[in-house]
Amino acid sequence: MSWFEPDNIYRPKIAILDRVVDEIAEVKTFFWHFKNPADQEAFRHFRPGQFAQVSIFGTGEFPASLPPSPTETETFFTIRQVGSVTAALHQFKPGAQFGVRGPYGNGFPMESYQGQNLVFVAGGIGLIPLRSGIVYALKNREKYGRIQIFYGSRNPRDLMYLTSLQEWQKADGFECHLTVDRADASWSGNVGVVGGLFKKPGVSIPVENTTAFVCGPPVMFRFVIKDLVAMGFKDHQIVSTLERYMKCGVGKCGHCCIGVAYVCLDGPVFTYEQIQKLGEDI
Amino acid sequence: MRARIVQGEDVLKIVDLLRQDHEVYAPFYGRGRDSYFDVVTDTNRDRIQIHVPNPYYPPKRFLLPHIERLLRIRQEAGDWKLEPEYNQVRRAIFGIRSCDVAGINHLDRYFLGRGFRDIYYEQRRRLLFLVNVVCTDPEADIDKSCYCPCADTGPAARGHFDLQLMDLGGEFMAVAGSEAGEKLFTHPIFKKGTPAHVDRRREILDTIRRQFKATTSWFSAAVRYISQGKVLDKIWEEVGIRCLECGGCTFVCPACTCFTVSDRRLSDVEVERVRIWDACALTGYTRMAGGFNPRKAVHDRRNRRFFRKLAHYFMQRELSMACVGCGRCAAVCHGDVGMPSVVEMIRRTTAAKEPHELVRA
Repeated sequence: MSWFEPDNIYRPKIAILDRVVDEIAEVKTFFWHFKNPADQEAFRHFRPGQFAQVSIFGTGEFPASLPPSPTETETFFTIRQVGSVTAALHQFKPGAQFGVRGPYGNGFPMESYQGQNLVFVAGGIGLIPLRSGIVYALKNREKYGRIQIFYGSRNPRDLMYLTSLQEWQKADGFECHLTVDRADASWSGNVGVVGGLFKKPGVSIPVENTTAFVCGPPVMFRFVIKDLVAMGFKDHQIVSTLERYMKCGVGKCGHCCIGVAYVCLDGPVFTYEQIQKLGEDI
Repeated sequence: MRARIVQGEDVLKIVDLLRQDHEVYAPFYGRGRDSYFDVVTDTNRDRIQIHVPNPYYPPKRFLLPHIERLLRIRQEAGDWKLEPEYNQVRRAIFGIRSCDVAGINHLDRYFLGRGFRDIYYEQRRRLLFLVNVVCTDPEADIDKSCYCPCADTGPAARGHFDLQLMDLGGEFMAVAGSEAGEKLFTHPIFKKGTPAHVDRRREILDTIRRQFKATTSWFSAAVRYISQGKVLDKIWEEVGIRCLECGGCTFVCPACTCFTVSDRRLSDVEVERVRIWDACALTGYTRMAGGFNPRKAVHDRRNRRFFRKLAHYFMQRELSMACVGCGRCAAVCHGDVGMPSVVEMIRRTTAAKEPHELVRA
């Protein structure tokens, strides 16, 4: 090894897997910590909405949302098994080592939303990138106005973060509405798409001084945006996180560019106004 | 900048001087009109070409190798050990063309600017010495697809080299572009010049600027149309139809920077993480895990290349254009959708569509 150790943006830090929790089919949550406590301390100050690069040595690297809030003590990723690297991670047992680089990206500007109402709209695993913001808002409840969560999944078995959802439904000053596309015998709640919740009797969504967070599959995204705009939301009041194939996370490899923006540097959080001005379809 | 005069028979002595503490690369002829950069040795030293068609394989590989190891990753008693490897070799490129000097300047701004510094690039760049040779021979130096006067990068680079040589006919004018370059002037082969030499340089440049065959002086129009989103979709579709998706244009481009990262197994307990040149022309470039590909259509990907190079936004971001006018993309493209022809297509078709309203009297 050479005598100097410069700051290397591509070098992951070693992380150790603590425990694995099954969320829904093909999705698991991996609790982990850095091997070196100094790395843990440096990582702690991430912002909700940021992401990290996860390395499975010998298989590859992938970008992953950071679902924990910086106000929580544990660090974890919630990962769906979609490709070769995530499949390798899904085989991991507690004690296994992998690499983490980050945090990267802009994140949600939670400070600038102070005094505003927050509306979180998520579909399926779209709740993962929003979870950090939700927990952060819950912890700093007094800084925000009304907080509403609208969350839908295909069926009751596909609801993410079930224990957190139950907690949020009980939390003071939190309005948490759930729905599923197809109910089964275990489900007594709402049935239908997420947008349907907006029109439910007893639900009123403030438009003035409100920021709406939207995250979910493309179809859901399109319809929810339409509903919000119809309600009177301006494009700059709607924020979302985008995802792209990414190799470096630091604006060098070029893969994540959408029009004029690097998702890794300028995103992954964009307002709907910014998304329309990127110069390329998302 | 300070200048000296070197006699024609002494010019390769600069290579000898540099070889004392550098691995020196210089251009050579292949078996035909092809040319390439190779390490100078005692045996090939006399075959170095001053006037030669610019090699297709761009000198950016000395800063961003085709395949570069980022990390050696070893498993020892259950623990993973990461060992980065940085370049320690002092290199010099003798005979780099002005367009490629501008390309390296662009890479510098891209890899070393904007927040995150790329240490692998930096270690190579720090130890790289550039001897620029100005293209003055209209037969050997200037290819039919060269258009550096339009990209404003040549034929004589205005900076970012350590030493610049220009053939004045029998003797060369040497210009120092850095302290390291100026240090060479202490050697006796560098002699004082006269105002007549400076005049001669100006005359030659004035003549050579007229010798370029492909003049794509429509950059500014293309930049404006692309930045304003005025280019018609059917132009991109036309470009997409003609693109064979080989990725050649990006691999020969001195200003293209994209790479992919891959882990390769070296043994049971050891892997290496490498970065490999990648190209936005290739289908897999934007394909995500799970199969979704936001840029599935060829013309979307072609659009991407020209948008990245010509959109005003990126020039503002990097303060240099990601096209240096070397003409390599035009020379290698089978479908004739290199930069000059696409700029021309954009200009011709978009200008014709610009609305004009008559003012009523």
